[in-house]
Amino acid sequence: MNQNYEFNIENIKNISLEEIKSRQNSFKLFKEKGFPNKRLEEWKFTDLNKIINDNFKELNFNNVEKENKNIELIKDFEHNSIVLVNGFLKSKNFKYENEENIIISEYKNIQKKDKNESINSLIDLNNAFFVGGFFLEISRDYKFDRPLVVYNYFSNNLKDTIVNNKNSIILNENSNLDLIEYNLDISKSNFIHNNYTNITISKNASLKNYAIQGCKSSCFYYKFIKSKLDTNSNYEDYIFLSGLKFSRTEEDIDIEGEHANCVVQSALFLDLESHQEVKTNLNHLKPNCKSYQKIKNVLNKKCKSAYQGKIFVKDIAQKTDAYQLSKALLLDDSSEFNAKPELEIYADDVKCSHGSTSGSVNEDSIYYLMTRGISRKNAIDLLTKAFLFEIANSISNVEIKNFVEKNMDRQIYGH
Amino acid sequence: MLEIKELTTKVNEKSILNGVNLNIKAGEVHAIMGPNGSGKSTLANVLSGKDGYEISGSIKFNGENLTEVSIEERAQKGIFLAFQYPLEIPGVNTNNFLKTSLNTVRKARGEKELDTLTFLKLVKEKCLELGVDEKFLSRQLNVGFSGGEKKKNEILQMKLLEPKLSVLDETDSGLDIDALRIVADGVNSSKTKNNAFLIITHYQRLLDYIKPDFVHVLSKGRIVKTGNSELAQELEKSGYANL
Repeated sequence: MNQNYEFNIENIKNISLEEIKSRQNSFKLFKEKGFPNKRLEEWKFTDLNKIINDNFKELNFNNVEKENKNIELIKDFEHNSIVLVNGFLKSKNFKYENEENIIISEYKNIQKKDKNESINSLIDLNNAFFVGGFFLEISRDYKFDRPLVVYNYFSNNLKDTIVNNKNSIILNENSNLDLIEYNLDISKSNFIHNNYTNITISKNASLKNYAIQGCKSSCFYYKFIKSKLDTNSNYEDYIFLSGLKFSRTEEDIDIEGEHANCVVQSALFLDLESHQEVKTNLNHLKPNCKSYQKIKNVLNKKCKSAYQGKIFVKDIAQKTDAYQLSKALLLDDSSEFNAKPELEIYADDVKCSHGSTSGSVNEDSIYYLMTRGISRKNAIDLLTKAFLFEIANSISNVEIKNFVEKNMDRQIYGH
Repeated sequence: MLEIKELTTKVNEKSILNGVNLNIKAGEVHAIMGPNGSGKSTLANVLSGKDGYEISGSIKFNGENLTEVSIEERAQKGIFLAFQYPLEIPGVNTNNFLKTSLNTVRKARGEKELDTLTFLKLVKEKCLELGVDEKFLSRQLNVGFSGGEKKKNEILQMKLLEPKLSVLDETDSGLDIDALRIVADGVNSSKTKNNAFLIITHYQRLLDYIKPDFVHVLSKGRIVKTGNSELAQELEKSGYANL
């Protein structure tokens, strides 16, 4: 593959000399390492370098200016929206809210500390070339009336292109937001979306984040979420990205205040040689916090998925209650599911549990449904849905729950 | 309606049924009693079409040879098995399951599928008839149901699907008197001259509520005795040891 490395960082508009230097430095770091491959422990289930070589003849960095595109909005429930086209913030609409309490803008290097954190080579690449993304800050005590949908729209001219962007979400004390990231694209050819999201949740604030893939897609999606949770805050992330050819969601979560609560849940239906992963790093740094992770995947036809969940409990983080479970349902024997739980515990009064199962559909359940007139195929569909819907069912907002279920139906049955 | 001739079944070379003969006509209620391991549940499973049995002999249902008919087709043709241990299926909503099942069977019978509202009205009616709480419908299929609730759910399904032949596999086991009465009422109120019941049980107790026309005793894979409902009372006194 010919990676178009000659792309000029200076072409990125409105950046300072200092920033150019820092971006060049990040690019240097990336070039030294290249795309992650199996030799790295964290990527042992995924040879991304090979995947990219197999699927891309060349790779260009996106600098396509915003396209003017009217996107069909979700009609299932009332919501605020922001629209990103090819990674750039294009429009915003907060008609259900008091806008004084919301800061929204294109992402700039507002937070110095975000810059240049060299976590892995994909983030180095992002640091070097990111353009676009959004910055969102919610004032103290402000609670959103309706959910916010972030439309991530990609146009059809992204062949062999990598879109790098960054988002930053800050919830100040006692604020509240339900955020849905809704990915849509009309690209028939392969492209990469490499996103870095920074989340800060202050005292008593709550963020529920739902990542939903709205269509079948040739996108290779990588997302790294770095989040910080303060005292008594709540962070929930739900991953429903079925339909993507490749996805890897990484979460690095620092629980920095007592009595905080963190939930990561995922329900994925993988079909037709797709590859999806979730990797979490949950760092319990203060006492009396809870975390809950549940990953459920259904795999069909040469698919691969992995869950790597690490729970770290610092010595002072007593009374931590951390739970993680991954379950995979394999519909045939051509697919593969890998789980790697890791617990690193330095406190002595904690409750940490982990589990992982994988298997085929329960034959007794199929038999029971068939004795009620339901065909074998429909019985398996019903059980597949049931397996994944458990995650959707745990969503407290009924409108979002119904929307997720409708999407899952489409992801499973393709309509 | 059902004609079983010289039915034998084997599982991994082990014989379970050794030549069962049984005729059930429309309008009749038959009971099969017998000690543990006599093959009662196997008979019920074989009638439903469950895989894993090596079968010889014949089973005819309304003149049609059943041995090659799949599980779901048997159900669509009107054979219903009420399970001894109904499966818990997390994530499957009871109401959706009942609707899917009924509409599949209706479609196979050449009847119109029911829309959500018509179905809901029907299922609520049946719940009321059975004295089953409607809340039941919004729960996951059999998940966290008590033993009694699971059995009531089986009877509810039976009432909805209106099968020609209902096979009740130890539906009475683990039931208290009130639940037993609900189950029995469910059967009695479903009885017509066009359908039939095969009730498999250990004890005579259920037969106090559902009066069978015939009682058969199954022992070591054969029907060793057939009589009327008095036979059940006799067995209750003397046990199976003398057979």
